[in-house]
Amino acid sequence: MNDTTPVPPRIPPQIPPVIGPNEPRPLGDDPSERAPINNVVAAIDAILRHPRRVMFQLYQPGAGNLIGMMVLVVVACSLIYGVVVGTFSGHDQLWLAPAKISTGLMISALICLPSLYIFTCLSGSQARLVEVCGLLAGLLMLMTILLIGFAPVAWIFSQSTESLAWMGALHLIFWFIATIFGLRFLATGFSHSHARSHAGFHVWVIIFLLVAVQMTTALRPIIGTADTVLPTQKQFFLAHWGDCLKAPDNGLKSNSRN
Amino acid sequence: MRALTAKSKTYLAEIATLLRGETKTISAWSASWNAPRFLRHVGVIVLGAGLYGAAMGLWRDPQQALYVAIKFPLIILLTTLGNALINGMFAPLLGLSISFRQSFSAIVMSFTITAAILGAFSPLIAFMAWNAPDMAAKNFSGSTYNFILLAHVSAIALAGMTGNVRLFQLFAQLGGGNAVAFRVLFAWLAGNLFLGSQLSWILRPFIGSPTLPVEFLRKAVFHGNFFEAVLHSLRQIFQFN
Repeated sequence: MNDTTPVPPRIPPQIPPVIGPNEPRPLGDDPSERAPINNVVAAIDAILRHPRRVMFQLYQPGAGNLIGMMVLVVVACSLIYGVVVGTFSGHDQLWLAPAKISTGLMISALICLPSLYIFTCLSGSQARLVEVCGLLAGLLMLMTILLIGFAPVAWIFSQSTESLAWMGALHLIFWFIATIFGLRFLATGFSHSHARSHAGFHVWVIIFLLVAVQMTTALRPIIGTADTVLPTQKQFFLAHWGDCLKAPDNGLKSNSRN
Repeated sequence: MRALTAKSKTYLAEIATLLRGETKTISAWSASWNAPRFLRHVGVIVLGAGLYGAAMGLWRDPQQALYVAIKFPLIILLTTLGNALINGMFAPLLGLSISFRQSFSAIVMSFTITAAILGAFSPLIAFMAWNAPDMAAKNFSGSTYNFILLAHVSAIALAGMTGNVRLFQLFAQLGGGNAVAFRVLFAWLAGNLFLGSQLSWILRPFIGSPTLPVEFLRKAVFHGNFFEAVLHSLRQIFQFN
């Protein structure tokens, strides 16, 4: 009479973790996000199509290789875009513009990295310095990849116009659009670091934009030409832009210090 | 090399804990005296405030940068030492039952947070100083000076406020409650501002002036005080005799 049929152990039903309406979906919950990024092409593909995959990998131990690859892409893309910028004036600007853009971008990132880390900590985030470095590298990579996308348009305009002011404005617009996407990547990555507040991050975004814009003035001329490689007169970017607009020959290619 | 990297990671994690305001850990630190940790915090003050000071003085002259790099941390450390006794007395009098060592440690940690933030801002300030027109240049204008002054005030105010907010949170965690925490913080802040202002006056110049020579201290170091100078300026503004 005894029932010998084994009774399977009771397994409680699997309840998915409760995610608040404002909380982001945890990184790596989709198995495709866990796929390792082994080469530069995969890194570029991932940041464009699956940015969460890049973020997941950045939060894993040994993210240094990925960050290295991202920096490599940033340098390469900024150099290529720099050549396109240099084609407006030609001659020395063909190597000076890429060198200045690439160096300026890296220096801007280095200048802003300590404050980004401090603001990240102040907001209660648990992100480590290497993760913050990775997110910043992601911002720069996405930004420079998008600039490469804009490069053919910029080249066509640089060959067909003589106006420095117009080319300056065009490059600024392209840079601004690319930066917005880069910052969106950074903000998404930041939201996964358990930060209590985003106020500090927003302050940092303003600081980063100001530093990057000022860098273009500090390393001028980037588009136009001048007698010296670097400016002899120090100026803040608003004063410089004002001078450019006031200059009587601002529509000519030969105008210097842009 | 690995040991050094591991050590620096630990130090960085310690600073991050302070910045995040993890009050449970910080109150445990303040309760138990740990000389190496205390020295690390002093090290952060010297390095962070020193770097910021260097960036501040850079606009006038590299020599001025060196002087301010020494003077800026000195103000913080002398203010902490000068007010240690009275701050330690104020805390229990105003309802926060902590030992003298705990109060001293809490102030040092608050200044560590401030100095770490200032240190992080130092590359930005140095970049601004590098881009600003030379003080002695013909095109130098008062608006540039005011802009740089405003940037310094903003950076120092943000760093100082953050340090004090974290101190307030620590007091509340130590059992004082918000009202007591506010009273103690207010008393300490008043004392630190009073002494700190005078120390800054004695150790002037910081940003420097194009019309005055670069020097570690002005000739009339102990001539007058900060509050007399403020009163004098107010009289001039409002034309009092």
